[in-house]
Amino acid sequence: MNTPGFIEVFLSLALVALAIGLTVWWKIPVQKDMSLGSVRAFVQLVAVGYVLKYIFALESILLVFLAMMVMITVGAYTASERVKKIKGTFVVAFLAIFIGSAVTIAVLLLLKVISFEARYVIPLAGMIISNSMNATTLTINRISADIIGNRLAVETALALGKSWRVATRTFQREAAIAGMISTLNFMKTVGIVALPGAMTGMILAGAEPVKAVLFQIIVAYMLLSVVTISTIVALELTVRRFFTPFHQLRLDIL
Amino acid sequence: MNTPAAILEIKNLVREVPTKNSPKTIVRNISYTFEKGHIYNILGPSGAGKSSFLRLLNRLDEPTRGQVVFMGSSYDQCPACGLRRQIGYLFQTPYLFPGTVRENLLFAEDKLTEEDIRHLVKQCRIPPEIIDDSVENLSIGEKQRIALARLLAMKPEVILLDEPTSALDPTYTRAIENLIKSIVGETRVTVIMVTHNPEQALRMGGLALLLVAGELVETGTVDEVVNNPRTETGRRYKGKELQ
Repeated sequence: MNTPGFIEVFLSLALVALAIGLTVWWKIPVQKDMSLGSVRAFVQLVAVGYVLKYIFALESILLVFLAMMVMITVGAYTASERVKKIKGTFVVAFLAIFIGSAVTIAVLLLLKVISFEARYVIPLAGMIISNSMNATTLTINRISADIIGNRLAVETALALGKSWRVATRTFQREAAIAGMISTLNFMKTVGIVALPGAMTGMILAGAEPVKAVLFQIIVAYMLLSVVTISTIVALELTVRRFFTPFHQLRLDIL
Repeated sequence: MNTPAAILEIKNLVREVPTKNSPKTIVRNISYTFEKGHIYNILGPSGAGKSSFLRLLNRLDEPTRGQVVFMGSSYDQCPACGLRRQIGYLFQTPYLFPGTVRENLLFAEDKLTEEDIRHLVKQCRIPPEIIDDSVENLSIGEKQRIALARLLAMKPEVILLDEPTSALDPTYTRAIENLIKSIVGETRVTVIMVTHNPEQALRMGGLALLLVAGELVETGTVDEVVNNPRTETGRRYKGKELQ
């Protein structure tokens, strides 16, 4: 198979038309989102293709770093937009995504699992940051909802002289699991239910399946690391924001 | 006769909460001295700031201005968690942690011996046979007793009760009132109890504070505050069920 060009992309629009047609028939009001999404996907991906081409050609460390910061910032913004109820989540989301991603990428580079080349670092950073973004969003949402919804339980523990950490322990565990569950499920079923994108992409591009699989295993471990770190950072920072230094529950951050 | 000893001194306590337009004052410049071993009834109509005032005494909320001094040291000098173990707080609706009655008592104080538990259970008139039962299916009256026992497990100097009987029927209400009185007799703990019901305050006896619109308008014995108020505002609330 040849790698597809613009003509093939245009032809695959038939699938978009099919999807839109089906939703019209079933009266599901998502046609606008679908058309806009398809256009956005096209524009964003083509743009990023050219940007990557440029970055790969330059091999500038600064540029790679800059690209990652843009990805993290957009990821943090997206995550904080989904948690509108609480003020100032952007900083929390940014730190969670940044720390999780930085540690994970640094370990991969230091152990020389990947070399510091734009063509490796940037696609991996993309996977790392998007997974981190999802975990961060889920964690912040869950812990905030649990603290707000269980105010009496939290304040009862505080009134019994417990620290905020003890008072929120059960909810922290639940929120951590909520943040990590999709990655944990993914690890369990990978290769059986899901053939993940990175591996599929490599195979489609003509790589040896075993090589693609080895690469995918690294990706899975890497995602486990980033999701765990981001979840914990998001949790710690979010819970802290709900309490004063005197262990008082504050709801003025809502 | 015991010499009066100040246990909690409240100095010019103010609490403002932010609202959309301007901050709203819910506790207005309250100064008062609570002495050891007494029962204090905090009376006042709904929205008078009774619960807000009580929360400040447990430092569940932070005062905007003013000071609370506990046994000679200002709240600012006490670590919040240690302070709350000495000034217990019972919420209007009791919350018990999932688990057994015993686990709830141990959550408050993990060094409780078997004998301590037996004593607490007896003191709060909890049927001993339910001690290892899950707290899930208990009546609200039983839950309130367990919450009280859990609070007493910390051996507090002061207990703050926020309308502890508001969710209970009259029989349970009397039982809890008697229980609190017997605990004061036994342990010389200081009780500060919020109630909107002057009848209940009269049954509890001791001293009373009348709060209206966040302001402390009347203090004295319960009988004085309920039946012979000195101030104009106090007289306006005389004989009313302060809903």
